[in-house]
Amino acid sequence: MSDDIPPEDMMAAEYALGLLEGEELLAARSREASDAAFAQEVAFWQDRLAPLLDQIDPQTPRAEVWERISAELESTGDSAEIVSLTARLRRWKIAAGSAAAAAVAAVALLVLSPAQQAIAPVPQEPVEAPLAASIPIGDTQLRLAVTYLPERQELLVSASGLTADGVHDHELWLVPQSEDTPLLSLGVIEPGVERRVTLDAAVASEFADGSALLLTREPLGGKPEGVDAGPVVAEGRMQVI
Amino acid sequence: MQPASAKARESLKAAMARLADGDRSALEEIYRKTSAKLFGICLRILKDEKEAEDALQDVYITLWRRADRYDPSRASPISWLATFARNRAVDRLRVGKVRAGSVPEDEAAPVADKAPLAEDMMIDAERSARVHTCLEKLDEKPRDAIRTAFFEGRTYAQIAEAGGVPLGTMKSWVRRGLQKLKTCLERGE
Repeated sequence: MSDDIPPEDMMAAEYALGLLEGEELLAARSREASDAAFAQEVAFWQDRLAPLLDQIDPQTPRAEVWERISAELESTGDSAEIVSLTARLRRWKIAAGSAAAAAVAAVALLVLSPAQQAIAPVPQEPVEAPLAASIPIGDTQLRLAVTYLPERQELLVSASGLTADGVHDHELWLVPQSEDTPLLSLGVIEPGVERRVTLDAAVASEFADGSALLLTREPLGGKPEGVDAGPVVAEGRMQVI
Repeated sequence: MQPASAKARESLKAAMARLADGDRSALEEIYRKTSAKLFGICLRILKDEKEAEDALQDVYITLWRRADRYDPSRASPISWLATFARNRAVDRLRVGKVRAGSVPEDEAAPVADKAPLAEDMMIDAERSARVHTCLEKLDEKPRDAIRTAFFEGRTYAQIAEAGGVPLGTMKSWVRRGLQKLKTCLERGE
């Protein structure tokens, strides 16, 4: 204290060591989350100090600990498939920005759905990777999240946050790969709802990485028979996740 | 103990990659290879076998659910896992689930199974030498404080109290020590 050395900013080191508590700890945590240079500094300290942990003698935990871990994963239904999909979505989200948040929500819906219980063990080699699209709605912050699960030929459509205007419905379309095939309807969007749809094999087979999706404005109930589809109000592309 | 061969390191890295793709068997493999090391760390910080077991369980469950947190380009997997386990154990101390240091260190004899040790993986021999050399260069007081914080998960307030010095004094010792340590570690880049 009698020294007049200006207090250096050692917060990253203090945080990495675990010296901080209370408000200082909270401040360091929020800096780590928001300040890349600070986070890098924390990582520097962690990496450099980690070798000290080699001084601690290993101790074999009781066999029961692994049994408990295993049982916890079973009981919460963390099927490898769901975790895998969540991880893929997360990676995709990092690449695509937060846009995929709603797609992640759609997966959460799938996890919670009772139908999940009946699903057979995961195929070792999924035929294809899941696809996802995040479609911005007009100039709003809202997005329509669409996830396609090829091994089940199922489509998850998350329209949470959207509200109905009482005059129109919106219909989702897949632009088929083959040029002479008409647009394939993926159904009318139900605002505020997360929906899971099982697709016909013919429709499912048209899904590919890069497939375009269109959202059109239609009369209530969707496009009437024998009439052209309404104006396109939004579009997006399915991408491998 | 044996140094982690490059092969052991690569196989752990491969298991971490499989984990990120949701392969449950990868978790079991990682547990087999690393649980003794991580349990040793949790036990050292928490000084209570039950708490250390809970912490270990938490470490692997979190690892499974958030496998994408590990960035293979940044750290070796064992270094990352060891740091992760240490931080989780320290977090448990901070949320008051455990009374820190309720048992003196030499009385906290491990009661874990005396099964043969799982293969131990060393983190990084080269950097290990560096951090030790740099710590040795510090004055005794900051060095002891830094070591205690690291190995026992103590806060500034706890270290100051144990050393019978005002908090501000302890902070200034430690900060100067850390500054010196940093300069020394960076020289070793």
